[in-house]
Amino acid sequence: MIQFFNYAVPGVPFGCVFALMAVGLVLTYKASGIFNLAFGAQAFVSGLAFVFLVQDGWPRWAAATIAILVLGPLVGLVLDRLLFRRIRTASPLVKLVPSLGLLVALPQAALIIAGSTPDIPPPSLVLNAQHVYVHLGAVPLSGLELSIAGSTVVVVGLLVVLFRFTPIGLEMRAVVESPRMTELAGINAGRVSAFAWILSSCMAALAGVLLAPLYSQLSPENYTVLLVWGIAGAVIGRFSSLPWAAVGGLALGVAQQILAGYLPAGIIATGLRPSLPFIVLLVFLPFTRQRQSEDPTADCDPPSTTLVEEAPGYRSATTLVASDGDGVHAVGAWHRALQPLAASPLAARLRGRPTVVLAWAAGAVAVGSALTWVSADWLFTLTGGLAFGVIFCSLTLLTGMSGQISLCQASFAGLGGFAAGQLAQHLDLSVIAGMAVGGLLAALLGVVVALPTLRLAGLPLALATLAFALLADNILFPVTWVGNGATGVIVPRPELGPVSFNASRPFFVLALATLALVAGLVKLIGDGTMGRYLAAMRGSEVASVSVGIDVRRLRVLAFALSAGLAGVGGALYGSLEGSLSSNAFNYQISLVLLVVVAIIGLGSITGAVVAGLVYTVLLKELATLPARYSGLLAVLFGLATLSYTRHPEGVVDYLGGRLQRLLGRPAPGGSGAPDGGPDGVRVPAVPTGRTAG
Amino acid sequence: MTSPGDGPLLAARGIAKRFGGIVALTDLDLDVARGEAVGIVGPNGAGKTTLFNCLLGLETPDTGTVRFEGRRIDGLPAWRRARLGIGRTFQRLELFRGMTVADHLLVAEQAHRGTVRVWHDATHRARPDAEELRKVAAMLARLGLEDVADRPVEGLSLGHARLVELGRAMMGEPRLLMLDEPSSGLDTPETEHLARVVTQVRRDQGTAVVLVEHDLHLVEEVVDRLCVLDFGRMIAVGSVGEVMADPGVRRAYLGSET
Repeated sequence: MIQFFNYAVPGVPFGCVFALMAVGLVLTYKASGIFNLAFGAQAFVSGLAFVFLVQDGWPRWAAATIAILVLGPLVGLVLDRLLFRRIRTASPLVKLVPSLGLLVALPQAALIIAGSTPDIPPPSLVLNAQHVYVHLGAVPLSGLELSIAGSTVVVVGLLVVLFRFTPIGLEMRAVVESPRMTELAGINAGRVSAFAWILSSCMAALAGVLLAPLYSQLSPENYTVLLVWGIAGAVIGRFSSLPWAAVGGLALGVAQQILAGYLPAGIIATGLRPSLPFIVLLVFLPFTRQRQSEDPTADCDPPSTTLVEEAPGYRSATTLVASDGDGVHAVGAWHRALQPLAASPLAARLRGRPTVVLAWAAGAVAVGSALTWVSADWLFTLTGGLAFGVIFCSLTLLTGMSGQISLCQASFAGLGGFAAGQLAQHLDLSVIAGMAVGGLLAALLGVVVALPTLRLAGLPLALATLAFALLADNILFPVTWVGNGATGVIVPRPELGPVSFNASRPFFVLALATLALVAGLVKLIGDGTMGRYLAAMRGSEVASVSVGIDVRRLRVLAFALSAGLAGVGGALYGSLEGSLSSNAFNYQISLVLLVVVAIIGLGSITGAVVAGLVYTVLLKELATLPARYSGLLAVLFGLATLSYTRHPEGVVDYLGGRLQRLLGRPAPGGSGAPDGGPDGVRVPAVPTGRTAG
Repeated sequence: MTSPGDGPLLAARGIAKRFGGIVALTDLDLDVARGEAVGIVGPNGAGKTTLFNCLLGLETPDTGTVRFEGRRIDGLPAWRRARLGIGRTFQRLELFRGMTVADHLLVAEQAHRGTVRVWHDATHRARPDAEELRKVAAMLARLGLEDVADRPVEGLSLGHARLVELGRAMMGEPRLLMLDEPSSGLDTPETEHLARVVTQVRRDQGTAVVLVEHDLHLVEEVVDRLCVLDFGRMIAVGSVGEVMADPGVRRAYLGSET
C-alpha cells in the first residue's frame, strides 16, 4: 500500500497537466465543435515565450502574464477568427485537417520567429522547481510538483465558479447544448465560442508554462505527446463532461506512474506506458457520442453554401457510362444527358477534358526528362515522390472515397518497408516479392486496426487510429525483428531475374510502374461497385445498411486495401533510401501525410501523385536552407490549411475545375467534372426550392 | 385480414424495448400479410420509429421474435434483412450526400444483387450492366425524377428527396416496404404524388407496405388496416373507420374533440 502510494503521488502533477489539457480540449469542442489538436502546439508556443522572456531578464511573474494571459488567448482568438469559426459545421475531415496542420506548423513557426532555442533550462512558474518543500509520507514534493498541482486546483476552481455562477458561463453551457437554439434565443454564439477559445487557450498556455521545467530542453515533440494524454482524458470525459475530463486526465497521470513503478523494466514497460492512451481510447471511444446528433435543430440547417459535403474520388455512374460511350441503355432525360458525349469520338471526348490531356502531356515530359538529363540527385527526389504517391493513393482510397480518417497510414507504410527489408535480410527473399509480402502484412495490420474500430466514425475513428500509430511506434517498431528501433532495417534495391534495379534510373522506372499500377487500381476501384458503396457509406451508414450493403465488411476491406497499398509504398520508399529507421514512419509522419494530401487533393489520383512529388520536392529544396528555417515546410502546410478551409476539395481539383471552365465545356448534365472533381457537386440551386410543410 | 394459407409475410411477436428507464415498446405483436398495407399511427414518442428499427435490425429488441416469410430474421444483421426483401425510408432523411439521384438507385440495385466485387472492379468489369441501368431508368420514370437524375441530392427539394428515398427503398423489388413518415414536410400535391407511387407499386408488384404517418388522408388512401400505438402499446387495430371511431384512440391520439 505504501509502495502503491509512493508510486501514485509523483503521478499527480502529470495528471494535473493532463487534466488541464483534457478540460481545454473538451471546452473548445463543446463550444465550437472543433477538436483542437493544435492545443499541444499552443502550449508549446507559450512555454517557449515564457522561457525566452525569463532568459531576457524579465521577472517570472511578468513573463508568465505575457505568455499565459496575453500571448495564449491572442493565438486562440486569431485561430478562431481566421480558421475555426468557418468550419464549425463542416465534415469531420475538414474540421480535423486545419488543427492537425497547426499542430505541426505552430511550433515550427515559433521556432523560426525566435531564431534559436533558449539557452537556459526552463524555469518554473512560482516555486523553485528542484527544491523539495515538503514530504508526503516518503515522497518528496518539489516546487515544480507543488506549483503544477496548485495551479490546476485554482484553474479548475475558477472554471467551476465561471460555469455555475456567471452569465457567460450559463451562455456557454447553452451554446454547448445547441448553438443554433442559443442564437435563436438572442445570444451571439460566435461571441460565446470566441470566449471559449480564449479560455481554453489560456489553459493551453498555462499547461505549456507549467510543464516546461519537466524537460531539460523545450521541444514540440514533448508537447505533442502531452496532447495525446490530454486527448485520452477528453475521451474519458466523453468529449462532453468537463469534470470527467479533469478526473480522467488526473487518473491517467497517476496510472502511468504506477505502471512504470510496478512493471518490470524492459520493452513491455517502456512500450506500455506511452501506449496507455491507446488502451484508454479504444476502451472509452465507443461510449462517446458525436456532438452533432445531439442538436435538435440539426435538421433545420440549410446545407452550408461554402462547404458542401463532398465525396471525392467518386464519379457518378452517369459520368462513367458517358466516358465509356456506353450510355445507350439508359432512357429518358438521364439518357439524353449522356448522348452528346456518348456519341462523340475520342478526340472530341479529350477536347472536353483538357485537364486530362494536360496532365498526361506533363507526365510524359516529366518521365522523359527524368530518364535522360535529370541529375541523380533530383532523380532520387522524384523517385521518392513516386513512392509517396503510392502512399497518398492509399489515403485517396480510404479517406477520400469512404471518408474514414486514418491517422496511422505511416505505420502501415512502415510495416511494409520493414517487412521487405527483414525478409530480404533473413530469408533472402527478393525485394520485389518482399514488397508484395510487406503489402499483405500491412493489409493484415489494416484489418487489425479496422476490427476494433468498426463502430467508430469521424473524430473518434481518427483518434483511435492516431492511438494505434502511437502503439506501433512504441511497441511494434522498436522490436528487433520488426523495425529494429533507431538502428533501422536495411532494405536493398530489388532484382528481378537478370534485371537489376540497383541504379537510379531503372529504379525510377520500377517506382513509376508501381505507382501506375496502384493508381490504376485505386481508380478502377473508385469507379467500380466498391467506390460507389464507399461513397454511399460515407453519405449515410444507416441508409447503406438499409439497402443491403454489409458496411462492416466494406470498412474492413477498405482498411485492408488501403493499408496494403501504403505498405507497398513504404517498401518502395525504404528500398529507395536503402534503409528505414523506426522514425521514418512515426505517427507524426501520419499526421503530415494526411494534411498534405488533403490540402493538395484527396479527390483524385492526380491529387495523390502531385502530393507525392510536391512533398518530396519541397523537402529537398527546404533542406538547403539555413538550419533556422528547417521547419519551413511545416509552416507552409500550416498556412495552406487556410486555403483548405475555403477549398476542401484540394488544390488540384480546385485548379482543375478552374482550368476546365477556362478551356473546355462543362461536364454533361452539369454534374460531375470529368476528372471526378467534386465540382459537380456545386450545381446551381434547384428552381423548385425547398417547400415548407 | 391475414392472408389465407401460407401465413403472414412479416410476423413480429412480443417485441419489447427499453432505453434505460424509458419503455419504448411493450410486448408488441404485428402481422403483415402478403400485399397488405398496414398503417401505424400514434403520437410522437409512441415508439413507431423504434418499432421500425427493431424489426429491421438497426436496434436489438430486448425480447421478441421477428419472422419474414416464415423464417426467423431476428438474429440477422440489418443488411441481410434488407437483402431478403425489406426496403425502408427514414423519417429524418438519410441520403447519400454527394451522390446523384440516379446513383442512389443504382447503388441500391447493386447492393441487392450482391456484395462488393473488388476483383471485378480491379479488372474493369464492374460497370453498371444494361439490366441495372434499365431498372434505374424505369424507377426514375416511375417516380418522375428523370429531370433531376443527374443532380446531387443536396440541391433537391424536400419532395424530391423523399421520392429518392422511396425509390431507393423500392429498388430490388422488395416484398415489404416500410415507410417512416414519408410525407412529413411535403405539401399536398407532393403527398398525393407519393401516395400514387405507393399505390401503384402495390398494384404492380404486390408489395406489402407498413406506413408510419401522421397525415390521416394519406393513411386512409393507402392502408387496408390501421394500428394505433401509444406509449409502446398497440391500443387499437382495425379498419381506418373502426379505429378512428374508437374512444380510446380519440383520447390518446386526436384529443377529445371531433
